[in-house]
Amino acid sequence: MSHEDWLERSDIYAVGALDGEELTEFERHLKTGCPLCEQHLRDTHDALALLPRSLPQMTPPPTIKARLLEQIGVELSPVAAAPQTRLIGWVVWGTALVSACFIIVLQHGLLSNKGRELERLTGMVVDLKTDLTREEAVRQLLAEPDARLIELGGLPASPEASGRLLWNPTSRTGLLLTKKLPIAPEGKVYELWAITGNDPQPAGLFTVDERGNGTLKLPPLADPRAVEAFAVTLEPSGGVPKPTGPMHLLGKL
Amino acid sequence: MGTEPSQDSVSLLRQITQGDREAFSHFYDLHASLVFTFAVRILRVQTDAEELVQDVFLSVWQKAGTYSSERGAPEAWLITMTRSRALDKLRARGRRESRVTLLNEPEQLEQVATAERGSIALGEQLAVQGVLTELPEAQRTALQLAYFDGLTQSEIATRLGVPLGTVKTRIRDGLLRLRGLLQPGKGPEGS
Repeated sequence: MSHEDWLERSDIYAVGALDGEELTEFERHLKTGCPLCEQHLRDTHDALALLPRSLPQMTPPPTIKARLLEQIGVELSPVAAAPQTRLIGWVVWGTALVSACFIIVLQHGLLSNKGRELERLTGMVVDLKTDLTREEAVRQLLAEPDARLIELGGLPASPEASGRLLWNPTSRTGLLLTKKLPIAPEGKVYELWAITGNDPQPAGLFTVDERGNGTLKLPPLADPRAVEAFAVTLEPSGGVPKPTGPMHLLGKL
Repeated sequence: MGTEPSQDSVSLLRQITQGDREAFSHFYDLHASLVFTFAVRILRVQTDAEELVQDVFLSVWQKAGTYSSERGAPEAWLITMTRSRALDKLRARGRRESRVTLLNEPEQLEQVATAERGSIALGEQLAVQGVLTELPEAQRTALQLAYFDGLTQSEIATRLGVPLGTVKTRIRDGLLRLRGLLQPGKGPEGS
């Protein structure tokens, strides 16, 4: 084989398209340390590196750099806890915090002894009970052996937003918690989608508070197919059967 | 497409090997958009691309010492690493044929992703696009299927319904043209 033939193969190799016996032979040739082919590959790789620059450049979310800097800052520390462990910790702390607030509120209610104040505190207690019910739902879901935690990342419509979905593929239920989603405009609501292949199925509607926090307890999904991803879009109030609005969150299993 | 960014990057990589976090931060700022853009193009799922960016730059921090300027420019090293890992991820997840529909087409990706284009990045992008548009469509398609979609020459031949020899010729001719056009002094604007 002439060296021109090797150089031709090195082009196909450089773009990662060489296969079969030709690949085996060329890799064997490279191992001989052929300086011509090595130089040719270097030049081709340098040229190819410019191809991604032909694409419209996109900026990654700033959270990635923040996470990286945090990671390299604690590089020698033990590996971070698994997401489920972190969530359990969050639940425990959250529950403790809610319980503490509950006690303070009750004490405050007893001390104030004012009707209007009691009415306000009763409302708070109801809210806290709702929180506790939610925490209990998290605990129940976590107790399932095949429960999975899916991280949903913010898309350009709301890049700072994030979400965590605790999903039980057996019972086909779950709990979605979101952060930093923009408040839905009047007449709009967020809709969660369970995506299988190219087919998104509605998985519940929710709104967010002034801090962008939202919660959705997923109703059991009727579609028996395995879910591959979850997404959140902004839709008209009442929801729609198929997504029509901008996508704000996306996470895959 | 001057050489200054590469020289900057080489020196930053040297500093990173010394554990210089500020140098790492600069290096990230210089290249994160390129890596992210490339990862999104291959993986077509933004969250996957974000994971990959984190993975690639963490490797830069941990393995900057393995970079050798004799093996090419830092950008090429970074791009090769990104492509290799992105294609591994793509193959491992068997997504080549069944990607999430909501981010299926490049046009949709461009709509979904915020294309924040700084003047320098935009200038470079337009220059390279100009170069690419000079390639005959058949050569451009063959190169893109191989480089961005990770198809082998046999897979490309099957996909396009053309003989294997034709695919080889298109890739080689496309690269030959690309190498020439992208070399300093030979570009469309003489850059």
